[in-house]
This record gives sequence, C-alpha cells and structure tokens, in this order.
Amino acid sequence: MIETIKQFINHFSSPKIMFSILLLSFFFIFPPTEQLYQLNRKIGLDKIWTKKGGIVIFLFLFSFFIFGLTDSNFRLIVAKPDNVPIVGLLFLVVFFLWMALSQAFANDRRIEQGKKPKEFDDAKEKVLVWPDLVYIEFICLILCAALLIIWSILLSAPLEEPANPTISPNPSKAPWYFLGLQEMLVYFDPWIAGVLFPTVILLGFMSIPYIDGDSRGSGYFSFRNRKLSVSIFLFFWLVLWIFLITTGTFLRGPNWNFFGPFEYWDIHKLEALTNINLSEFVYMIIMKKGMPHNILLREMWGFLLIGGYFLLLPPIFAKTIFKDLYARIGLVRYSIFIVFLLLAIALPIKMYLRWFFNVKYIIAIPEFFFNI
Amino acid sequence: MAQENPERHYNIALLNKIFALASLILLIALIWIFADDYAREWKGYQRDFRALESEKTQVKYNLESNRLKSEGQYDELDQKIKEAQKEAQQHNAKIKQLEDESAQIQSQYDIYNQQFQFVRAKYDSTKYYYEESSHKKSADSVGYKQKLDQLERKLSELSGLVEDSKDKLTQKQSQINDLQANLRALQKEEKTLTKQLDIFQKKLGKVDLGAMTFANQVADMIRDFPVIDLANPNFRIQQVVLHDIKDNVNFMQVPKVDRCTTCHLGISNPDFKDAPQPFRTHPDLKLFVDNHSAHPLEEFGCTTCHGGRGRGTDFLSAMHTPSSEEQKKGWEKKYHWHKDPHWENPMYPKQYVQAGCFKCHSGENSLRGAEKLNLGLNLIERAGCYSCHTIEKYKDWVKPGPDLTKLSSKISQEWTYQWIANPKSFRHNTWMPSFFGQSNNTDPESLKRSEQEIHAIVSYLFAKSASFNLETMPVTGDAKKGEELVASLGCLGCHNVLPKPTDDKRSLQSLRREQGPNLIDLGTKTSQQWLYSWLKDPSRYHPETKMPNLRLSDQEAADIATYLAVDNSSAFNKNSIPKVNEAILNKIVEEFLTKSESVEKAKSQSAQMDLNKKLLFAGEKLIRHYGCFSCHNIDGFDNEKPIGTDLTEEGDKAAERLDFGFVPIEHTKEAWFFQKLKNPRIFDEGHLKDPLDKLRMPNFNFSDDEAEAITTALLSFVKERPAPAKWKPRTPRNLSIEEGETLIREFNCQGCHLIENDGGQIRSSVTEWLVKYQGRPENEAQAMTTSFSPPNLIGEGKKVQTKWLFDFLHHPETIRPWLSVRMPTYNFSVAELNGLIKYFNALDNEDFPFSDLSNYDMSPEEYSAAQKLFSDDYFGCAKCHIVGNQMPGGSPDSWAPNFALAKRRLKPKWIIEWLHNPQDLLPGTKMPTYFDPQNFDTSGPEDLLNGDENEQIRALRDYLLTISDHDDKSTRPENLPQQEKPQTSADTQTGENSTGTPPSNTDSEQK
Repeated sequence: MIETIKQFINHFSSPKIMFSILLLSFFFIFPPTEQLYQLNRKIGLDKIWTKKGGIVIFLFLFSFFIFGLTDSNFRLIVAKPDNVPIVGLLFLVVFFLWMALSQAFANDRRIEQGKKPKEFDDAKEKVLVWPDLVYIEFICLILCAALLIIWSILLSAPLEEPANPTISPNPSKAPWYFLGLQEMLVYFDPWIAGVLFPTVILLGFMSIPYIDGDSRGSGYFSFRNRKLSVSIFLFFWLVLWIFLITTGTFLRGPNWNFFGPFEYWDIHKLEALTNINLSEFVYMIIMKKGMPHNILLREMWGFLLIGGYFLLLPPIFAKTIFKDLYARIGLVRYSIFIVFLLLAIALPIKMYLRWFFNVKYIIAIPEFFFNI
Repeated sequence: MAQENPERHYNIALLNKIFALASLILLIALIWIFADDYAREWKGYQRDFRALESEKTQVKYNLESNRLKSEGQYDELDQKIKEAQKEAQQHNAKIKQLEDESAQIQSQYDIYNQQFQFVRAKYDSTKYYYEESSHKKSADSVGYKQKLDQLERKLSELSGLVEDSKDKLTQKQSQINDLQANLRALQKEEKTLTKQLDIFQKKLGKVDLGAMTFANQVADMIRDFPVIDLANPNFRIQQVVLHDIKDNVNFMQVPKVDRCTTCHLGISNPDFKDAPQPFRTHPDLKLFVDNHSAHPLEEFGCTTCHGGRGRGTDFLSAMHTPSSEEQKKGWEKKYHWHKDPHWENPMYPKQYVQAGCFKCHSGENSLRGAEKLNLGLNLIERAGCYSCHTIEKYKDWVKPGPDLTKLSSKISQEWTYQWIANPKSFRHNTWMPSFFGQSNNTDPESLKRSEQEIHAIVSYLFAKSASFNLETMPVTGDAKKGEELVASLGCLGCHNVLPKPTDDKRSLQSLRREQGPNLIDLGTKTSQQWLYSWLKDPSRYHPETKMPNLRLSDQEAADIATYLAVDNSSAFNKNSIPKVNEAILNKIVEEFLTKSESVEKAKSQSAQMDLNKKLLFAGEKLIRHYGCFSCHNIDGFDNEKPIGTDLTEEGDKAAERLDFGFVPIEHTKEAWFFQKLKNPRIFDEGHLKDPLDKLRMPNFNFSDDEAEAITTALLSFVKERPAPAKWKPRTPRNLSIEEGETLIREFNCQGCHLIENDGGQIRSSVTEWLVKYQGRPENEAQAMTTSFSPPNLIGEGKKVQTKWLFDFLHHPETIRPWLSVRMPTYNFSVAELNGLIKYFNALDNEDFPFSDLSNYDMSPEEYSAAQKLFSDDYFGCAKCHIVGNQMPGGSPDSWAPNFALAKRRLKPKWIIEWLHNPQDLLPGTKMPTYFDPQNFDTSGPEDLLNGDENEQIRALRDYLLTISDHDDKSTRPENLPQQEKPQTSADTQTGENSTGTPPSNTDSEQK
C-alpha cells in the first residue's frame, strides 16, 4: 500500500505531469482575469487563504514530509545538510504566500462589503521607532542568532572530498539559488539559459515600476485590484523559479536524470534522450526529405516561428486579452511588457516542446554557435 | 517618560518577557556551542586511558614495592637510616647553632655582595667616561681618573669581604654535613634502591588524582577547563607531522598529519598489549611504531601504511574500515559507522593491510613480514596475470604458458578440445584457467556456441602448428627406474605428483613445487617420444621454457619418459567430442565480420568461405578475443597487445569506475577485486549482452585465501610513492639483492636450495626417496635428508670465488658425488649469471668481483705441521672429505666435498673463518668445530706451530690449497658406492654426475 503511494508520488512528480498540473491549476488559484476570479470565488478556492485553509495546507505539507522521512531514499536527499535550507524555503514560501494572500483576500471581501481595507485602520496607529521597532528588531536579531548557532551545531557543514579534476561529482549541482538556471539549461542553449534569461529577469524587475503605473490597491494588500500583476508575478516566482529550484534540488540525480522523491539515485539509470531540432522535425518527419544545405533555408521554419511569436502575438494580444491593458498603458509600455512576458512564457513552451516532441532547438545553427 | 504613560504600540511588559526569553535562548545556544566544541570523542578516550595508565602504574608500583620489601635489603637499610637519624639527633643542638651562624653569615654575604654589585656598576660606568674623555683629551679626564682609582680600591675591598664571608659559609656548611654524613650516605643508597619505585611514584603523581597534593589536584582539573585549556591541557591532540610524506589533495601535496595517537595512546607501549581498543599496543613493535624499529611512528606515521584520514580525530572522520560483516554491524551500533564516500583512501580492512607496504617496497620481491602480499605476488606470477594485464613490475617476464607453435607433435586435437573446454577435469590443479562453462556462458545457447568456438580455436592451433622432429628413443625405457629417477634427480623441486586434489592451502612454499605442471596422466596427454625429446632438451621445443636441462643420459631420459607415459588412467580421451556445427559457426564468423563490414557484406563473405576457412577465421579471431596469445606463443600473434586492463596502478582506481552490476556486495574496490577473482564473470549477471561483449576473464578457481592475497597485491599497486628517504635505500647492494631475488623466483632456485633461510621444498621428497628406494627407516631418513638434499646457500657469496660460481652456474660440475639430486643446466644469459653472482655477493657484503692477492707459500715446517693436522692423528680431514679421487670411508651421508675443488672454488678468507667456527657460518653443519670459540687460545693442539691456533688454521688452509694443486685434474671420484648412481653415461667429463648444485655448504658439507 505504502509502496503504491510512493510509486504514485514518484510518477506524479515527474516534471511533465507536475508542471502541467501546476500550470493548469495556477490560473484558477491565482486568477488573472475577472471571469476567472469569479470562478475562483465560486468554486471556493479563495478559502485557501483563510486560517482554516492555511492549517490544511500546512498539515498537508507536514504530513507529506513526515511520511516521506520514513523512506530512506527521501531521507537521504531531504536531510542532506545542503538541502535542509531548501526544505525551509518551501515552508517559508508557502507561509508568506498564504500570509500575503489571506490579507489580500480579506481586504477584497471588506471592500466588497463597502468597508475600508484593514490597513486603513492601522494607518491611524503609530509605531514608534524607539522603543517599539528597535526593540522587536533586537529580539528578532537575538532569535535569529540563536537559530543560526543551534543550526550550526546540529548540522555540520557538508565537507566533501578534496576536489579532483579527473572525477567530477555526479550530479554536479549549482548552489541552490542557481538551480533554477541550471534546470533551464536542460531546455535551452547555455547562452540563453545562462546569459540572456538572467539579464532579462533583472531588466524585467527594473522595468516593473515604469510599466505598472496603476495606483489601485496601493497601500494595502489586495488581489482583486491587481489580478493580472499579481498572477503574472506569482507565475514567474512560483512556477518558473521556486518550482525549478525544488526540482533541481530534490528530483535531479546522477547524470541530471529525473528521480522521484522516493526513488534510489541509481547512477546507471538510463533515459532515452534523443532530441531533434525543429528543422529536422519539419524536413525529415513531416516532409520526409533531406535537409537543405543552405543554413537559412534549413532554419527558415525556426525563424518564422520565432518571428511570428514576437511579431504577431503582441498585436493579437493587444486586440484581445490585453485590450484593456493596452488601452491603459499605451504602446511603448505595452511593447516592453509584452516582450518580457513572451520571453518568460517561452520557457514553459520550450519545456513542452521538449517533453512532447523531443525538440532540441527551434533554430539550430551550430556552425555559428547560435541555437535557440 | 514613565509618568506620562507614553504612547506605545506594543505591550512593552510582554516584549520584556520575550526579550528575556530570547536572551536566555541565545545564552543556552552559546553555552551549548561551547560545550559542543569542548566535548570531543577523543577526550573521553584520553580520560579512559589515563585511568588505565594509573591502574597499570599502580600495579607496577605495588609489584616493585613488594619486591623491595621481600628482598630484605630495603628493610635493613631502613633500619640503618633510623639509627643514623637517632645518631644525628644527638647533634641537633650543635647543628642548630651552626645553622643559625651560617644564616647570619649568609645575610652578611648578601649585603656585601649587593654592595659589590653597585660599586662594580659605578666603576664600569666611570671607566667608560674616563676612556671617552681621555680619548678626546678633555680636562674632565683627570677627575674621572681620581674617581676611578677610588672606586677600584673600594671594589677590591668589597670583593675581599664577599669572598671571606663565602668561605666562612662553606666552612659552616661542611661542618653541618660532617655531622650528618652517615645519614646522607644511607639516604643516597636508599635512593638508588628505590629508583624504579620513585619513577612509578612520579608517574602516579602525574596521572592519578589520588596521588596528588590538593593544589596539584586543583591545577590538574583547571588546566582542562574551556579557554584555559589553550595553555597546557592534560587532554590534547597528539600528532605526528611528516614533511616528506605527502597527502595528495589533487591540486597540491600537503604534509601528512597523523593524529591517530590521540586515541590510540598505548600504540607504542608494550604494557598495553591486552588493553581494549583503542589503547592496544601495535601487534608488531619490532617492525613498526617503536623508535628502534624499521618504521618508527615519528618518521612514518600511521596512515602511510594503513590508509585512512590521519587528520581525523573521531572514529568516523579517521575513516576506519571494518574487516568483516560482524565488525561492521558492531561499529554501526557502537559508533554509528557508515561508509563515507568523501574520502578516497579509507583505511585498508585488516585483512588487506599489507597492501600498504608496497608503495615504498615496490622494487622488492620478497617482503619479510608481508606474507600475504608475497603470496599474492607469487600467485600473480604463477597464474600469469601480468600477461593479459600489463603490470609495469612484470613487463620483462616471459609468457607463463607453454609454446603452442609446435603442438601437433605433442598432443591430439581431441585432447586439446577437451583441455580447452575444461582444463581442470584433466589436471585438478593446473594453472590453465577455464574460459568455458562459466557463469555467463552456460545457458543452452552459449554452451552450443562454446563448442564451436573451441573447435575453431583448436583448428587454428593445429593448422598453424609447425612440425617438430621427435627423437626416437635409442633404448627401451624402464618405467620402474624412471619412477625412481623422478624421485631422486630433483624433478620434485619444481613438480608435484598429485593424482588427487589435496586440502592443503597454497602457500609461498607449496607454490615452488608448482613451478612445473603436476606430473599426472601424461600418457593420456602426449607420447613417450615427445616426453623423451622434451627431457633431453626442453629448450628445443620451447626456447623460453623455464624447464632446465638435467643432462639426462639416453637411458635415463628413456626411463623417465616411459614412466611418465605409463600413467594414462584418465577417461579423458574417451569422452566424445561434439560435431562441428556450421550454422553456429556461421554466426560466429559473421559476428566478427560485422565488426568491420556491413551485415550484407559479412554474410556474403562468410558464404564464400568453406568450412575449414571458417574454422580458421573464427579460430584466429577467438584467440585474439580471449587473449590466448598472451600466455602462449601462437603463430601469427607475435606483437599483439595484452587484452586486459592495465593493473600497474589498479590500487588507485576509484570504486565508481568499477561495474558492480547487480552483484550485492559492498561497493569498495577490495570487495570488487575479491569477487572478480572468485568468479570473473559474475558482473555479467542480469545484463543482456551479445556474446562478444560478455566478460571474458577466465576462471582460475582461486580459493578465498588466494583471492584475498591477490586482492592485497592489487590494492598495493598504487602510483603514490613517498619520498625516497622513506624507501629501503637504493644502494647498489640492495638493488643487486632485489634483482637476484627476482631471478631466484623466476628460476625457482628455492625449490631445491635454502636461500635466505627459505626454500628447499624438495626436501620432503628426498626423505620419501630415502625411505622408498634406500630402505631407510622413516626417522633415520628424516635425519639424513639434509645430507642428501641440495645444499643450503647461506653465505655463498662469502664462500665461493666469483669466477668459479660463474662457471658453475653456466655449466655445473660435481661437488658432492654422493648426492643423487642434480644441479640442472639452465640457459642463463650472461646478464642473468652476473645478476645471480652479484646477488650472492651482495647478500654477504662481499666485494664484487672478488680478487685475492694473498700468497700461499708455506715453509717446510708449516707444511709438515699442516700435514699432521690433516692426518688422522689430529683432525682426520680425509675421514669425511673426498680428496681428489680418494673416497672417504663410512656411509655417504657423512661425506663432504672434494678438497681438490678448494683452490678453484673457495675464497681463502672463507676457509680461515670456516675452520675457526663452522657453526657460525652454517648453523647445524656436521663439520666438527676443532677450535673452540669459547677458549680459542687453548683449543688447538699445543705441539704444532708453537700452539698458535691462528697459525695452525692458516697453515691448514694453505695446505688445502696445495692439495688442490696436486689433484686438480682428477677431481672426479671413480668408485662411487652403488646406490645413488642411477645415471651411468655421459657424465664423467663435465660433472653431470649427481651434482650437489652450486657450491655451498649445506649441513652436508664439511670442510
């Protein structure tokens, strides 16, 4: 029975399935549009952000870990001193997400009932820097210091063998905060995953204040007023960052193969990984003919696809789903916004192309080290 | 502020409490981190050790004090001291007075002395100013001069006073001493008597709290307090830093630091040999750890040999490795032991610990004290591992298997088929390993395939076999005589005759009798003619063979050949042999062809071949596939590369690089090696593999002990070598010995001879021969064995002349005509001959080459004295020794070598030493000691040469050398007693008689 559950979880946690479920449920839990928001309320998904909901989530998380720790393989990975902070990260992310959204949804309800947001009352109170703020900060400081000391006593620093240039550790893992990027490397050429995306992420963060001039909902927690912004942000943060880090930490074993949480990390595990480029897909599988010699001709389909993606989609979106947004922020801001958005969405798209069509590169010009 | 009831957001009283609680938590955390840092595993061990040490010292102390008491001497002295004390008391008043006076004088002396110091300082300073001013011709100089004179006067006055009071003081002191003289002397005597006891007491005062003063107790406790313990704690890390042995951490080499003695505190102290671990004494202090041993702890550390992490100071971080499953379980329970993958060189499990010897001793061939490693190396040599697996150490060794280029003259195709299919079914202890019928090729399909593979191999071998002219036997052989010859000539120094397997374990010694094959069932295998031809000249059939030529006469060779061929009892040849199956053969051929051709082409090519061609094609490919050519000379495979993994640095291989397949063993290299040796094909289990991808290492059927020994050797093949200072010095002498030992091993000299006190494996068969063919009773035969065995070669370098040894090894001559065992003729190259001679000389620290400039002329007086000494009236040398062709009387077991050889053979200096004391050079020799080494000056006859023993010995030596001159031509005795003369012809000229091997003295030899 327990073995069956474990096997089910192992199967369930494979990136294809897990990611798809996350992707599908995401827009119901964090509805970006009014219709979805109404649906969310109707189904009662907003109950997650109540105390009861919080308790249920945490009970679920705790019981999963307690159940998992009975398994030696799970214990080996999760209790590794390196990985303990990531376990902490999971709990902290869920907790703060719940804390923010529970206040946001509470405020939404208050506003619906014609009340002012909770922070409106708070604003009347004063918090003095001295002694109140300094005092609680000091207490926090003491507690954090104690926590770090105790942690360092209980979990020794993970010291491994002397570095040997002829034997690299398998798996070789980046520091945890880079595991998201390392996970992207599975799907993208290094220059995209390692250079372009990090840059775009930073530029994207910088551009947020310029793109989002909407002052609704500022000064207090709110979801309804900022459905689109919050859900886009959370999509990047939860799905494309936290999820990838967690996968990279716990579910990637030797040879960067995927292993379920209860699976033994067998160094000899072999997975069929024969990937092809889009051009090969088009010419050889669909058209059943040889590849053209001319590089441009050969990669034409990739260029068309990418061109279409970045040139056609923005105007289409502007007329349809982002009609209001476009009207509100204008062409320049919209253009910047949509480019960033499309770049970000390219990641899950590429993941699916890999999983379902074994697509390696959409444009593959290894002659010039240019692969997308 | 408080009165104004100030505005607050939080409840400060509550925050105060939280603050208090948080601070408390932080305090606890800080104390905890201190405690955690302070409480180290090793401190517990050191505390335990201290208790143990105090207990042991207490026991020793009690023993010593009881001994003193029981001896009475101590009590007597005690009594005397008491009396003396009483006596001294009578003078108490006087002493008191004297002491008071001397105290007074002392204080006076101190005052004078102080004044003297002050004035002296002033004087020195004034002197400086005076010198300065007078140099500058300043007017001040006059003043300074006056002052200086004044001070000088005062100084001499004071120094007089100081000396005076000092004299007085000494006087008083000596008066006091005189009064107490008796007591002092007695106390001094007591001190010498209780010296040992005092040492124990001192030690107890250091380790036993109970034996300390209160102040010391407090100090003893405080010095181990946290923070204070930085100064001089009781409990501290003990370490050895080795600057010339490095730990390789890949990007750099760091000096080895071994902290093992932090817990293994009794390692070098013999008192702890029964103590519980970790305090137990090292089991071999003579060789290791001890300061006087070859490997002192301070110079070699621990992990240099044992492996592990020397810097680790707890059980886990030191990388201990359990040596058995039970120990592993015990450790898991006791220390939460688990394998740590992060250290590449954990300690060797106890059974493989000798693997550590080799990094410094890799040039040597026999490592005394490392028997398992030695056995492993010997097994590698015998099994010929080095021929498929390159091992740098063995790169010049010849192929271990017989030559197959002329095999059609020796064996039949049917026999060969069955032999390859299962060699052990013919000869249970053969070194030919089994390729077929193994765990990865016994499924029905593979069995069928194996049959065809063997057919192909056999066909190839016979097709390529060159012709070989067998000599026809000129005489008819007598099997009975042949049997006796095999028993007596020395065949059994290298060969066994063991029809059935025995339970005996293989050892270094028993391996010597596996130099050649077990002589069973040869009639089944080959023909009389072939055996005859082989015996007459082995190198004609196989130029590289290690089988020497025994210079057999035609009759002898015929007898032995007949005897060996009689044994054809096995049903081996009657087994039916499966037919050649072309379909399977096609598959095999195509498989090989598709390695370089397309499937289409392969098929068409194979279709073009006829059956014979297919057999030959497949045969050649299979011989290459299985590597048959590595051990055997096979036509067409002259310059092939070995097929196995290079093992030169196999001990460094990381376990991750070994394929453990699905075999449930520990993932360590030692477990893998062991498993591989026990069953080389096991790692294929559970894998789907094409026939040509399967593992192909053959099975040698090693026993557990053998596999363990070979594993030890494999683990020892590492790249790392500590600094040359740690090696056995690479002096020319040591190098010669190493080279010689290799040759001795290669040619199996120790099968017959005792060399370096090891070898002589033939002796048991000599005893059997004496019983069976000489009709001696068992115990008599035992006693006579030494006399009839090849000689002990101890001191050979010292004894014989270099030139003679060279000639003898090249072409043996008879030294001991009574021996029936015969020194064979080896095809030694000049380099090998020189290697052997250098070896013997190096062993005895002799100069090489030997040269002697002495003059052996004798005066008539000396000559006649020597003659007398030689005669039966005195020493009766000719009673045992052969002189020219004159045989001594008595039974041959008391005979000794021919004097006629002495001049050519022996080093004159050695003869002198030998006559002085034969037992010294060859313990147990039957040569009588004529000059008692205890009373040398009175031992010789007094009436010759003024009774000067040294002169007598010298004269005798010179005389012996003259005998040789007379009889040099006719060294060969003619009338040998009947029994040990199986050989008749062909010998008289070159000494092919039963020859007692190289010149040396066994006990049989008496000069």
